[in-house]
Amino acid sequence: MSILEFARGPAFQVALVVFAFGVCWRLAGIFLMYRRFDRSQPRQHALIAGGVRAIVMRSLPPHELEKKIVFQHVSGYAWHLAYFASLLFFAPHIPFFKQFLGFGWPTLSNTVALLSGAVALAILLALLWRRASHAVLRQISTLDDYLSIVLSILPLLTGFMTYARILPLGLRYENMLGLHLLSICALLVWFPFGKLMHLFLAFPARFQAGVLLKRKGVEA
Amino acid sequence: MSATTAHLDSLRSAAAALGGRVGLSRNTDAERLDKARAVMLGELDGSHAAYLETCLHCGMCAEACHFYLGTNEAKYTPIWKVEPLKKVYQRELGPMRWLRRMLTRDITLAELEAWQPLVYDSCTECGRCDLMCPMGIQISPMIGIMRRALAAADLLPAELAGAVDEQKQQGSVLGAGRDQLLALARDSAAAGVPVPLDLPAADVVLLTSALDVKAFPDSLRATARILNKLKLHWTLLSHSIDLLGSGESLRELHVRRIVEEIVRRGAKTLLLPECGHAYPALRFDSAHMIGEPLPFVVYSIAEFVGQEIQDGRLKVNREPGGGSVTYHDPCKIGRHGGVFEEPRAAIRALGLELKEMESHGRTNYCCGGGGGQFLIARAAQLRQRAFEIKMREVDDTGAAKVLTACNSCRFNYQAGAAEANWHKPIESLVEHVAANLAD
Repeated sequence: MSILEFARGPAFQVALVVFAFGVCWRLAGIFLMYRRFDRSQPRQHALIAGGVRAIVMRSLPPHELEKKIVFQHVSGYAWHLAYFASLLFFAPHIPFFKQFLGFGWPTLSNTVALLSGAVALAILLALLWRRASHAVLRQISTLDDYLSIVLSILPLLTGFMTYARILPLGLRYENMLGLHLLSICALLVWFPFGKLMHLFLAFPARFQAGVLLKRKGVEA
Repeated sequence: MSATTAHLDSLRSAAAALGGRVGLSRNTDAERLDKARAVMLGELDGSHAAYLETCLHCGMCAEACHFYLGTNEAKYTPIWKVEPLKKVYQRELGPMRWLRRMLTRDITLAELEAWQPLVYDSCTECGRCDLMCPMGIQISPMIGIMRRALAAADLLPAELAGAVDEQKQQGSVLGAGRDQLLALARDSAAAGVPVPLDLPAADVVLLTSALDVKAFPDSLRATARILNKLKLHWTLLSHSIDLLGSGESLRELHVRRIVEEIVRRGAKTLLLPECGHAYPALRFDSAHMIGEPLPFVVYSIAEFVGQEIQDGRLKVNREPGGGSVTYHDPCKIGRHGGVFEEPRAAIRALGLELKEMESHGRTNYCCGGGGGQFLIARAAQLRQRAFEIKMREVDDTGAAKVLTACNSCRFNYQAGAAEANWHKPIESLVEHVAANLAD
């Protein structure tokens, strides 16, 4: 079995199972946990609206408090957008999704998609450097933080190398493509265990904060 | 104020003799650790889980914290202050606990000791970080859990432990006692402002605080003058002064007692004095503590007075001479309680020019000494660094004086101003209203 066959076959299947089961396990563990019921008289009503508003407002830079966090906000949004643009709209990816899902969708031009990938890669490297050098980030960082960045970088890096046919150590193209797929498998396997889960948890956390603050009559 | 300052100094001296920590625990280290862990596990629930699981370690919360901004020290990053709580959650409650137990070490007593200055000295539970987090993580309530866990492990800073002991033995804190309150009420009545004490039935119940009695009696007299002017059927609970100055371990017991006293009198309204920490405790937390919604409405006195003015029931004159003021939003009334507009309505009614600080309302900076921090002697320098941020914002407004609705804040302002040789008056909003009541 070649690297590519292994990556496309058992590795990808195992990664998907770990991803799906792990995500469900973690979400269930959090959301089925006992919660205290707040019996206080709310200062303001429309609590659901408060939660939804928090989802929106916490997605925007908090202008009143924003002094030194512009880079974090802008870079955070920029790399997410660029990452997903290159993942979902790069033409060579679509046949894979079509095979998997049964349908495809329009793509970006290769130039734009590759540029998006390059932007995402550059920002991720900058964030990795910043995490290792900024006193606050260094203090609070864990293995999860570094691993999540590195595992997010690898698919971009191997993707570029595959597309540009940069084949170190005499690797064949098919093997490089296999490594690209394996890097995605690694990302999927790690996903439920680390901070990447914020993809599913960010909105619920913001929502409950919004409900709590709305009860108190404070804008989230 | 000097008597209160002297009392604080004696507490701090006693603490200094203990080296800044309680060294007389009767429990073994293992028992202390178990007690801390039990508090954490008992208080953590699904809402905390969602927060702890969602943290990205982005560090933005540091930029909201006056202790980090005042020192630039990374250890003061708010989310770092709950690191032991996060560890306990991940190893004992989290859905991935089976993995965490294999990969991480349990917390130790030494670790909790190391966190004592982080949760007591360098956090006032002001909640500013709660507004900054892009994930919505509410850090300050989790600091509260950390504090209660450390207290269970006999790791209260000595000054706070001394205050709790005083509470248990004397029924009050800061050297305030029932006799002093009775004398204050007599003096007030002699000056033409009756204070109805302990009436068996009343529509409105007022509480006061040890700080009011010891340092700011004018605030209580002003409140009485306003309530009399409104011709309310009100009473002051004379034995309530201990209820507001309690240590955290006594909080629930005291809240239950207050609720029983109010229900017994058939009161429909509870008024809290110019006291920050009582407000969220009684307005929001008490319903959870007693297990049912409160059968009465809770107001901060500044909120109540502002509403009465807004609704036209309380008339005030424009303050002679007018002038400009800035308003310091007490964290516990503002950010933790939603009371922003009512005090400002009172200020406008007095004809004063309100010059807002750059950070005001929900983003207001803490005075630097809330959450019992002002008691801790070793934290004096840290407190001052945080207060300097406040001073700068006040100075930038150009306002002639600062008004506020919390006597703890006033106390901290006065102490900080004295230390910095800063001459900016900090005054009670309610006293200003009471001094300008219209006929």
